[in-house]
This record gives sequence, structure tokens and C-alpha cells, in this order.
Amino acid sequence: MQRFATLFAGLLLNSWSATAQSTDTPTPRPWYVPDHATLQTGGGIGMLTAGAGYTPGRHPHRFDADVLVGYVPARYTGHRAFAIFTAKATYSPFSVRLAERWRLLPLSVGGLVNYTPAAQINRNSADKYGYRGYYWWTPTLRAGAFLGSRIALALPRTTGGKREASLYYELGTNDLYLVSYLPNRQGLSLGQLLTLAVGVKVDL
Amino acid sequence: MKAPRILKLYPVLLLASATLAACGLLEYSPNQTHVPAAERHLTAQNVARLAQQPKTSNDTVRFVFIGDSQRFYDEAEELVASVNQQPNIDFVVVAGDISDFGLVREMRWVHHRLQRLRVPYLTVIGNHDQVGNGRLIYQQVFGPLNYTFTYAGTRFIFLDTNSREYGFNGRVPDVGWLRQQLADTAGTRRQVVVCHVPPLDADFDSTLTSSYARLLRQSPQLTLHLAGHVHRYTAGQPFHDGVPYLTTYSFAKHRYLVLSVWGQRNFHLETVAYGAALPHS
Repeated sequence: MQRFATLFAGLLLNSWSATAQSTDTPTPRPWYVPDHATLQTGGGIGMLTAGAGYTPGRHPHRFDADVLVGYVPARYTGHRAFAIFTAKATYSPFSVRLAERWRLLPLSVGGLVNYTPAAQINRNSADKYGYRGYYWWTPTLRAGAFLGSRIALALPRTTGGKREASLYYELGTNDLYLVSYLPNRQGLSLGQLLTLAVGVKVDL
Repeated sequence: MKAPRILKLYPVLLLASATLAACGLLEYSPNQTHVPAAERHLTAQNVARLAQQPKTSNDTVRFVFIGDSQRFYDEAEELVASVNQQPNIDFVVVAGDISDFGLVREMRWVHHRLQRLRVPYLTVIGNHDQVGNGRLIYQQVFGPLNYTFTYAGTRFIFLDTNSREYGFNGRVPDVGWLRQQLADTAGTRRQVVVCHVPPLDADFDSTLTSSYARLLRQSPQLTLHLAGHVHRYTAGQPFHDGVPYLTTYSFAKHRYLVLSVWGQRNFHLETVAYGAALPHS
């Protein structure tokens, strides 16, 4: 946990100093410097998940693309800690101004794919039950979708331009939960498929 | 400075995490083993419940035998309704493949239905329960992969026969462990072996088949060998040695077996249709 926190702080500080250097010359920062940093818990992609992302386009956070690395401690996995690698896209079409510095993004929809390379995960190798083809899914790869919303606070920025810190939640599910639900619409309810994610994003 | 302020959110996030994780919505991974404390070690819980339960007879065991609940949640509800109307049932045996993808939620979804049975239920691990992180999840939610309990003079021996999931390493099923259990006949009159993959299936380690069958043949108290995996009822003596081998229906078949064992290796079998099967059968 400590190691993770240090890593994330390092990541933040690093990007922050990169921004700080550019204060004297108002040139746009290099394309590869992320627009924001993210910290999240839950959503099936880690107990503590940190990442960075980009917001292409003129509207802040209308479309976010993030890459994240999640950590699941050994206590929750039965053996060794998991690292979960995720690519995630979020689209938030509406923005409602709440107060001078506050705005609400009432709806976010998104999708993600994630990969859990843990050695303890028993893979469905091609030769195993290949004669039946009934292990059709991949235990280490999951796809998911979610709905959520987000509240953002504008932060002062010396260089000009918008900078926000925001808090979001997402209710989501994954491919295998959906596949479980489809033939069991009496036996399972949609609520049983849901996972909750809560996170913060800070513009760099 | 932004970084320190962000770090202050850590305790808040962690506290919120712990609270929500407890109710299951805040999931860290679909492969996590973590479940609420009440849903751990269900085998031990059910064996303890069985020991407390007043016996209908001192020498007869009557139990429901079904397998492969994987992804058949509608049917699980119908099964519970049907079994709860059966008189004189001691417990329910689910012969493996509780889950389809080896995910923790699947095992919990099945448990949330089967816990409404009036009687305890006991499971053996199936091949699908070993996919992904399933083996560790099964051990957390249910318990040991090989175990025994004794009820009304009958020793029930549950063991992992999913050899293919171990790459046919020659150690699954654990024939040495099975030999020890079958040799322990003190205080019992009958033995019943329960597993998921039957011994002549392609998913059973063929290098162990003959020693497995020989062991069962040489065990004088052995009454029945029960398996799932094939999703249908079969009965016979595949080794032509007097040992009856049975397989049972999956939840999707809307049928289950009621087995009674008594006396010296006597058994009786009934088939019960339930749920959607009723109008058509």
C-alpha cells in the first residue's frame, strides 16, 4: 500500500513539475504528458487503482481516455496480490454549472478492458477441453461497461487555462456477469451484476 | 501543492472501500476470493448443521443428488422450491460445477439460492470451479477439495477428480487419500464416494483409472459412486465389478435424484421433475 502511495505521489509530482517548468514559456506541453491523473477504488479493477489519461477536444472531460494499474492485496486474492491493467474510455456529454467553481457532469458512460496477469489464475489453454470448445472465455481478460456521474471543482491555475479536480462514481458490470444474466432474468436481477467504483481525477 | 492534498484522501477512500466491500458492491476483482465472513467455509457450516439436525432414521440416509448448477439460476430457485416440499430429506449433494467461470459472485449467487433449502447442502469441486482463480475461491467459500463426513452410519467421501485442470499431473484424484478414507470403516456400515468427473470420462486421469476402480472394488462398505459433469442420469457397472456408478442431471434438466441408502449397501433411487419440466414431462 505504502509503495503504491509513493508511486502515485511520484507520478503526480513528476507531471506537476513538468507543468511548473512551462510557466515561463506559455508553449503547449508535449503531447505525451497526460492531461489528468486518476485514483480509483473498486469497479473490478483494483482496490487501489492509479492511472493517467487524456482529454482530447476543447471541452474538459467530455471524453476521457485513461490507462490504470490496479492493486488487489493478497488478503483478497487467496494467494498473491494482483496487478490489474486497464484501458478505459469515458464519455460525459452534459455539463451543468452548479456554482462559480463547481460543475456537475450528470451522466458518464464508458467501457473498459482489463488484464490480470497473475500466475495463480488457471488459464484456459487451447489444448484444454479444445475438443469441446466450451471454455470460450479468457479468465485474465475482462471487458466492462459502466454508467456514472461526476462533480468537478475548478482549481486556480497560474498559467491560465482550465484545471479541475473531480470526484466520480461508476456503476458497472462485466462481460461474464452479463452472460450469466441473459438466460436467468428471473433468477438474477440486474442489481446483482453491478460493481461500484469511486474515484478522483485531477488535471495536471 | 496538489500531491499532499490528494494523499489526504487515502484514509477516506480506504474506509469507504472497506465498508462497501463488505456489502459486495465494491468489487476489487471478479477473481477475488474475499467474501463476507458468513459466506466462508460453507462445507464446515453445513456439516455442523447436519450433525445438529434430528435424524429421521439411525440407519437410513435420504438425500437429493444433482450436479452442475453453473449459470442455471432460474432453475436453482425452482429446485429449492421443489426440494423444500420433499419429506424426509437429510441433505442435498451438488456434484460440482457450482460456477461456470470460477468467479466468486457465481458461487455466492448459487449459495444465496441454496441457503434457502430447509436442509444443508454439500458440494464437491467441479472443473469449471477451477478456472481462473476458482480453486482458491472454492476453498474460501466452501472449503477443502477432498473431505469426508459421516451421517447415519454412512461415510460420505467427497473428492476432486478434475484431473484435466491439473494438466493430468498424476496426483488428481488423490488415490492415496481415497485409500485412507475407504480403509477407515470404524463406526460406519456404508460408504458413498462423490466426485465431479466420472472415472471413464476423458477429463479423468486415465493413468489413475484402474487403480481408482480397483480401490473401490476392494472396499467392502462401498455402496455407490456418484458423479456429475455429464449433465444427465446414467447408472451402471462400467468396470463389471459390482460397484454401481451413477451420474446425475444438471440444474438445466429440471430433474434430480433422491437416493436412499440403508442396511448393508442397499440403495434406492427416485427421479423427481421440478419447475419448467413439470408441464412437459
